[in-house]
Amino acid sequence: MRRHTQRVPSRVSSPEASQALFERHVLPEIEVLLRVARSLTRNNADAEDLVQDTLLRAYRAIERFDGRHPRAWLLTILRNTHINRNRRQRPELLRDPDGTSRQLNELAAVDVTDAGVDAGFDAEIERALAELDEPFRSAVQLVDVEGLTYAEAAEVLGVPAGTVMSRLHRARGRIRDRLDRAGLAPRSH
Amino acid sequence: MKKPWKSLFRSSAKRPMTCGEVGEWLQHYLDGALDDRRSERLAAHLEDCRRCGLEADTYERIKHSLAGRQPSVPADSLARLREFGARIARGDEPVER
Repeated sequence: MRRHTQRVPSRVSSPEASQALFERHVLPEIEVLLRVARSLTRNNADAEDLVQDTLLRAYRAIERFDGRHPRAWLLTILRNTHINRNRRQRPELLRDPDGTSRQLNELAAVDVTDAGVDAGFDAEIERALAELDEPFRSAVQLVDVEGLTYAEAAEVLGVPAGTVMSRLHRARGRIRDRLDRAGLAPRSH
Repeated sequence: MKKPWKSLFRSSAKRPMTCGEVGEWLQHYLDGALDDRRSERLAAHLEDCRRCGLEADTYERIKHSLAGRQPSVPADSLARLREFGARIARGDEPVER
């Protein structure tokens, strides 16, 4: 049972052991954490602070981490840290405690970095994204733009992976419909 | 004597998908989230059906276009965070437990 042999004992006592686990599981994920943090905060300084807090929390919790799916584990910590920071700094967000979808939507509306060969196609996708409802756009942003898996995006959004998948597929379907209406990728029937 | 339902099952497991089935499973297939058996049946359909082949191409282009929207990460932020993480890993960063 390979999985079990890879599991980390639930009580690792020495700081050296924690540091080694942190180096193995956490350090390789810093860039992904920063990408998602930028998506969530829409602000470089806030994103950096958020990742810093996430790293500290991850170190404190590393003794309890079972060694499986470190990225998903870290994204959960990132999301919870983000929610807590919002509650502290922006109490008006209590009604919308994480604000994740809204912030991802704002990000989706900007930052087109690849002019692409087919500018018209990309521009139509830009417009289609702007028309998507928040939950659908968030799924697209995390999976298709940021490259997270369904499961990882589910950790960030706090919903089941199946929900991420169905939102993503519906969102792409709407984008596809818009391309059809614009005559950029007409259906052949 | 061969049971009819068994041969039916075998043939449906190997036959190419219909256009309707491709519509249901295409995005799973393009995401690499489809099991091998269904993937083979779907791929077999795409080889022969121009309409579904074009539909698959369109979704691939959509995914490619979206992937190209990934903003770059500020190098200085990333460097600072990596150094911060390395200090924690070395035990140089005081962390309250």
